[in-house]
Amino acid sequence: MKKVIPAIGLMASVLLACGQDQQEEDAAHGLEGKDWDDIVSEAEGSEIGIYMWGGDDGVNQYLDEFVAPHLEEEYDITLTRYPMDAPDFLSKLMTEKEAGQNEGSADLLWINGENFRNAKNNDLLYGEFTSHLPNMEDYIGDDAPFVHFDMGTEINGHQAPWGNVQFAFQYNSDMVENPPETMEDLIEWAIDHPGQFTYPNVNDFTGNAFVRHVMYHVADDPEELETFNEEWLEENKEEVFDTLRTFKESLWRNGQTYPESLSHLDQLYSNGEVAFTMGFNEHRAESLIEDGIFPEATETVVLEPGSISNTHYLSIPFNSPEPEAAMVAINFMLSPEAQIKKLDPSMWGEGTVLNAESISEEQVQEMEQITGPAIVESEDILPELDSRYHDWILEHWEREVVQQ
Amino acid sequence: MIFNRKKAAQAVWFTGCILLFVAPVVIMFIKSVSFGWSWPEWRPDQFSLRAWEVMFRDPALSRSLYVTVAVGVSVVLINFLIAVPSAYALSRFSFKGKGVVEALLMMPILIPVLAIAMGMHLTMIRLGLTDRITGVILIHLLPTLPYAVRVLKAGFDRLSFDWEEQSAVLGAGRWTTFWTVVVPLIIPSLRSTAVLVFVISLSQYVLTAIIGGGKVLTLPMIYYPYFNSADEAVVAGFSVLFALLPIAFLIVWEAVIKGYLFVIRKP
Repeated sequence: MKKVIPAIGLMASVLLACGQDQQEEDAAHGLEGKDWDDIVSEAEGSEIGIYMWGGDDGVNQYLDEFVAPHLEEEYDITLTRYPMDAPDFLSKLMTEKEAGQNEGSADLLWINGENFRNAKNNDLLYGEFTSHLPNMEDYIGDDAPFVHFDMGTEINGHQAPWGNVQFAFQYNSDMVENPPETMEDLIEWAIDHPGQFTYPNVNDFTGNAFVRHVMYHVADDPEELETFNEEWLEENKEEVFDTLRTFKESLWRNGQTYPESLSHLDQLYSNGEVAFTMGFNEHRAESLIEDGIFPEATETVVLEPGSISNTHYLSIPFNSPEPEAAMVAINFMLSPEAQIKKLDPSMWGEGTVLNAESISEEQVQEMEQITGPAIVESEDILPELDSRYHDWILEHWEREVVQQ
Repeated sequence: MIFNRKKAAQAVWFTGCILLFVAPVVIMFIKSVSFGWSWPEWRPDQFSLRAWEVMFRDPALSRSLYVTVAVGVSVVLINFLIAVPSAYALSRFSFKGKGVVEALLMMPILIPVLAIAMGMHLTMIRLGLTDRITGVILIHLLPTLPYAVRVLKAGFDRLSFDWEEQSAVLGAGRWTTFWTVVVPLIIPSLRSTAVLVFVISLSQYVLTAIIGGGKVLTLPMIYYPYFNSADEAVVAGFSVLFALLPIAFLIVWEAVIKGYLFVIRKP
């Protein structure tokens, strides 16, 4: 009992502090005492821009042909897409911050992982805003871990989850007779079929995620990696890199070189040079087959010990000229309507962040109709690792694997 | 026999040129309209206009073509305004500190553009030139001007001063001499400068992205992100479109030159 009281006291003071921060932040943003309706009416007639990667026609189409017209119609907000990579727009924001430019050029950012960490640490974001969004509360809730942490970085309402994808492998069933079921099978398969498997360089996000799966494979229990665990890394470093070295010689081009990006691996795969490719978004093969990029015989598989999930987010830059309209736009993109439309493989075709319990029976059925049976079973889902693991892999892989 | 050898050499040269310059564009075009064409098939068995649909579905594409050409042409014109007088001066006169001026003019291509761009960005924010087409045009002078000065200076160097003296002896003023004698004689240099500058401006991505902030949407801003996808057909389609712009520019530029020569030759 004695222990409980200080704990409650501590919690209460933390909660109080949070409440206070919230009030201060709202005051700084001029949102004090405003409810959602005020924000919506203030957003009316605004023109906003979003910085986002522009290299996927499905994603672009979803923004241009679904999100933008709906925002125009329902809220009288004009949304323009500015194609730019996250590191590029972050360095731009950084310079703007230095120059003290408080009237920026965009209102929304598509961001996650280490880019979010950098943006948050350098105060490039607007601040806490998700608590104002009704759809955040109604359809996403507070339970999912991705609401609180993005690759180990505390979110504090600085960004709102937009989509959720799972890591999966794609293979050409004409080339692979007995598809592997575990990471161990895959490694064996690679050794038996020299030159037909490879993974992207770890500088690439997907290549790095492949190595993170190998780490999960080495770990006895996924929980060991739940938080950034330097001790574990110390102890298991050899085993992780040993595993990668065991099949290095059998990789494409004898492991002398690795595809420098996922797009390169995808091209090798579509040309039939390798039998496997991989990537976040378990549904990504569907539209690629439809567009004639991947072979018809492409199948998707999740290997034991499971599939890392990855969430990407929407945020608002510190110098957004129209933060109210940005919030309205984000709120719309979190609505069941927009989230369900995003599942459609003929456009984007990626996972939702909706809490299945908060939406209607009909909506759940609609979602199942669009996506078909689940590719990744819920018990196979592995939490995304702290972004410091990402850095750790970057630091050691080259020396431990490539140069050996 | 000699005649035949000459003909054969010509044929080899001609084939070489086609293989090097025309064939890649043709292959790109075929790639952009093929469907599921992959190794080891030597030709596509299915065709589809999907890639071109994807490109033209982007509402920003037509505007970006217009912006790209507007930026490119302005950069070429400003380059002429600055480079012709400076190249002329560097070639014709010797003055104190000429070496320093020449070195300074070469600086932008010796120092990594990205390093300059970061610093320029800060200055341009203060001047209110970012996110505007004016800023993008100005920043494109950075990687183009050194080449323009170099090429034009070489042109003036080859042109003997005698021609200008002759014109002066015949009673022409400085401006008349310049427009009717010097300009027609350095047209080859003007031609290569214009095309070189246009192509360099056309292919700028990083500078346009940083200074234009994604708001000044040139073709590379839409086109380059697709390199990050497995969609080879769309990349091929954009590449064809990209290759057509300098060709169109060259044709228009030739017409301008022909028109100019026609006008000054009139008595």
